Amino acid sequence: MPFPRLLLIEDEQDMARYLIKGLEEAGYSVTHAEQVEQALNLALTQQWDLMIVDRMLPNEQDGLEIIKTVRGAAVQTPVLVLSALASLDDRVRGLREGGDDYLTKPFALPELLARLEALIRRANPAQNTLNNSQLKLADLTLDLLSRKVERAGQPIILQPREFKLLEYLVRNQGQVVTRTMLLESVWDFHFDPGTNVIDVQISRLRNKIDKGHSTPLVHTVRGIGYRFGLDG
Amino acid sequence: MDRIWHSVAFRLALLCGGLVVASVLVLSSVFYFVSLGLLARNIDGKIMSITEKFSEDAEANGLFILAQRIESTLSDGVDSDVEILLLTNALGQKLAGNISGWTETSTPFDQTIDRVVKRGERLLPSRIRLHKMTDGALLVVGRDMQDLSEIRSLIARAVVIGGVSAILLAILATLVFRWQLEQRIWAIRHTTQEIEAGNLDRRIVLAGIPDEFDRLSADINRMLDRIQHLMEGVRHVSNTIAHNLRTPLGLIRGHLEEALRGVPEQRKLEEAGHFAISAIDDLIVVLEKLLQIAEAESGARRQPFESVLLRTVVTDLLELYDAAAEALGVTLTVDIEGEPTLPGDKDLIAGILANLIDNALKYAGSPANVTIQVRETAQAVSIIVQDNGPGIAVHERAKVLQRFYRLNSDRPGSGLGLSIVSAFTQLHDGTLFIEDAQPGLKVRIELPKPLAQAL
Repeated sequence: MPFPRLLLIEDEQDMARYLIKGLEEAGYSVTHAEQVEQALNLALTQQWDLMIVDRMLPNEQDGLEIIKTVRGAAVQTPVLVLSALASLDDRVRGLREGGDDYLTKPFALPELLARLEALIRRANPAQNTLNNSQLKLADLTLDLLSRKVERAGQPIILQPREFKLLEYLVRNQGQVVTRTMLLESVWDFHFDPGTNVIDVQISRLRNKIDKGHSTPLVHTVRGIGYRFGLDG
Repeated sequence: MDRIWHSVAFRLALLCGGLVVASVLVLSSVFYFVSLGLLARNIDGKIMSITEKFSEDAEANGLFILAQRIESTLSDGVDSDVEILLLTNALGQKLAGNISGWTETSTPFDQTIDRVVKRGERLLPSRIRLHKMTDGALLVVGRDMQDLSEIRSLIARAVVIGGVSAILLAILATLVFRWQLEQRIWAIRHTTQEIEAGNLDRRIVLAGIPDEFDRLSADINRMLDRIQHLMEGVRHVSNTIAHNLRTPLGLIRGHLEEALRGVPEQRKLEEAGHFAISAIDDLIVVLEKLLQIAEAESGARRQPFESVLLRTVVTDLLELYDAAAEALGVTLTVDIEGEPTLPGDKDLIAGILANLIDNALKYAGSPANVTIQVRETAQAVSIIVQDNGPGIAVHERAKVLQRFYRLNSDRPGSGLGLSIVSAFTQLHDGTLFIEDAQPGLKVRIELPKPLAQAL
């Protein structure tokens, strides 16, 4: 998808400028709305690939109201909620009221970009499924029914959670996934686990998948997370 | 007037006073009517019995004997001044008695009634009874009621005086009662106003009488102690937070300043930028943890408690930390009996366990054994995370629960882990114990279960 169309609803000038710059550099075509009315008008009258909605808008309006209205009009565009409201409760509410992902301010731009990519990917399911029960990347095959993994014809023994981790990576191949995304999607945990548990999990998986093969599939993206695929 | 009416003291006193006055009035009027009625009935009875006795006497012995008897009765000195007696023959001629005669004919016979009788020159209000005998003679028996009406007015006066003084006393009591009540309430209001003005260390002075007001005042004083304690806690926490944020902020500032000093170098600027970002990320994590603690300590549950399957939570966590434990040479063992369940918040219970496991991995050393044990009784679920590392000295055990307190500042960490564990445990009404595993650290969390039907 070249230049995905993104609607950014954010009232804070500096934040909007910073976001627009980052998003455009990442290849998005960004339209910016500051006011709720303008935002609703744009969201309901045009086609978008993605929406980013800030929660605390002018006149004490909550961005969640925009999402509710948009969802009420049967618009299924993926929405990422961006908010300084950081408690777990706010997060749960944001997702329940129609948001597809919730990122709290302050955030790292790479984290935002990785999550946006994942949202687009989720809205346009991948073509790497051979049939309903198999995932494939290069010489790696995952059988979703028997839970068996093979690389170059050799079976690889994975624990159930390692299988889930690999499945997530394969489904999001070619994209950057962050540690937080992995923690949320694979383990369904929403807290900081302290030590670098995710890094250690990945390095164990990497040992099982890549060891003894000339082309590595698991790549570290410095300071951000990981990417799964043929090229680094 | 409106203000007085809105005073509880006034209304209470008025009610009591009103009740006192009403009961005095009821009592007096009962006394008045009963006593006078009794007297009147006595008199009527006496009149009737004399009439009967005299008429029987006359029928048996003749009028002459009766006349003599009447004369002697009138002169015996007993009640002579109030007795009224008259005997006439059939022709109306007076045979004996102390009134001149009976001329009026409208008075019915054999009924005791009120009549004004003339005796000598005086007109007397009286009760009289007329009886006509078989030979036509007339017998009049009566009693002068002059004295009784005097008694009546005396009693009435006593009732009025008593009633009025009762009302006056009730008003006085109202005022005294109200004054006393306001005195006691003023002591409380005075203190609360001072506290409102900012003197939180003020307390209500007790009167020394163990009555309702002193008990209320003691309760309020205890509440104030608690609030003051909490506020001091909050102040302490704010100070600690401010201090702990200042140090990393100072570090970031120093790095940036250094990179900009002199001729800026690309490499130095990049390094400072990376350092600043990672230090700020650490600060964000600290702030998020503080927020979680504050949220849990406010006691507000973010969502209703659900039945949490502890085996699932522990397994999820084990599958998150197993790789890290493996890498550190730590053996993680899980020991769960049965299927313990607990009403709670899955994420928070996972947070408790994650922090305890993370601590064990960080501080137990390598190699080490870490055991996660879950036990269920009818009343509680206990979660025990135990290691065979160096443990925590007895005098440090209370301190490690404080925010930012760190046993070993060389290791990475925020010093908030056990504060989070403690706050999340409290939100589940649980208790946290830090014990000696001999050797090692044993953290035991007792989470009470409500009665079976409550879930």
